[in-house]
Amino acid sequence: MENNLKMKDMILTYIIIGIIALLGNWAGYHVSPIKALPGMLIIVLITIVGWGIKKILPINLPAVIYISLIALLITTKIFPGSEWIIKETGNVNFLALATPILAYAGLSFGKDLHEFKKLGWRIVVISFVVYTGTFVISTIMAELSFRFTGKF
Amino acid sequence: MDAKPSMFSWKVHLFVLVLVCVTELIGVHELGLGIGTITLFPMLYALIIGSIMSIPKLKILKKKEMQISANILGISFMLFIAKLGTMMGPQLMELFKSGIPLLLQEAGHILGTIILGLPIALLIGMKREAIGATFSIDREPNLAIISEKYSSDSAEGRGALGVYVCGTLFGALYLSLLTSIIAKLDIFHPLSLAMGAGVGSGSMMAAVTGTLVTIYPDQADTIAVFSGGANLITTLLGTYICVFISLPLTEFLYNKLNPILGRKHKNEIKNIKT
Repeated sequence: MENNLKMKDMILTYIIIGIIALLGNWAGYHVSPIKALPGMLIIVLITIVGWGIKKILPINLPAVIYISLIALLITTKIFPGSEWIIKETGNVNFLALATPILAYAGLSFGKDLHEFKKLGWRIVVISFVVYTGTFVISTIMAELSFRFTGKF
Repeated sequence: MDAKPSMFSWKVHLFVLVLVCVTELIGVHELGLGIGTITLFPMLYALIIGSIMSIPKLKILKKKEMQISANILGISFMLFIAKLGTMMGPQLMELFKSGIPLLLQEAGHILGTIILGLPIALLIGMKREAIGATFSIDREPNLAIISEKYSSDSAEGRGALGVYVCGTLFGALYLSLLTSIIAKLDIFHPLSLAMGAGVGSGSMMAAVTGTLVTIYPDQADTIAVFSGGANLITTLLGTYICVFISLPLTEFLYNKLNPILGRKHKNEIKNIKT
């Protein structure tokens, strides 16, 4: 789906989600939308630039990678103005950004419900086992390696 | 696809706006259950109330609006990823110092689905569906890999699609509840759990990270940085490892384990008897 999206539609969508998240940030974390606006604009801009790079470069990597790397790069100490970027984006609580995402996820629930009813019980059981496996086993690996490397 | 996927519906955005404001105002609550305490917080309410609203029988949303909502979800989590990225920059040295744990947890993410999933799938009587179901967490990129190799109509393809559907519907909610319960056992450090959160799916990762931050508010930033870091590695390496390691390995283990753990077909059992 990623390659089919129109840039204009995406920018509009990100702006709308940005506004919703600013209001959530206000309701849940008591930061006024005016104060958090510059930070939110930076976050939206990073995302759009990441998409732009994906569209320009011939390599077929997910846009998420470019977005992560840009965000990471412009907040490292060596980047000019990084302190300002960190301060402004710091006004946007990351949970305030996650709540709208899961609201959209919820509202799309009914779409796949029909497919779900056709599944057998085995595949449902295994789905939960698979998600448990990836989460719990990587947590165990992290815990063990933290202990061996003496972090805690 | 001929038509561009639509991402615009005032109704959907308005519902999300109301869900966000209402759930943020409700705030954090704890729910004691027999097996442990479950932490409830805004994004979980938004997910649950949203899901109920989209049940087709209630006729609140049209199928088209649910599709639009799914399209928006597909790109919206990138704002969250961008925000996590801005938290990672200042902590980059801290992340590099945890290079070994970061690499090993990644092995856990990749192998975890197979190690736990494949034996259980065979024990409950799945056949080749088990390969598609357990070689990865079966998100979109993984589905593409399976259908390229076996076709989406194959047993392997059906297995992968089944896990995909369950994950889409219940993955975030399930992992959030599981995180609550495991965190309260107090056997893992919050940072280890944070790394575990980097499963490579935007909404599931947001749900697990959100749960952890709600339980350990004083370590919110470090948790975000480490789950962001783990998720970045999973996304970066995921597809390649899936093609070159996970899928061949699952197929190999299936062939080894199926004769031992798998249930025999009725015909085979008859043959043994006679």
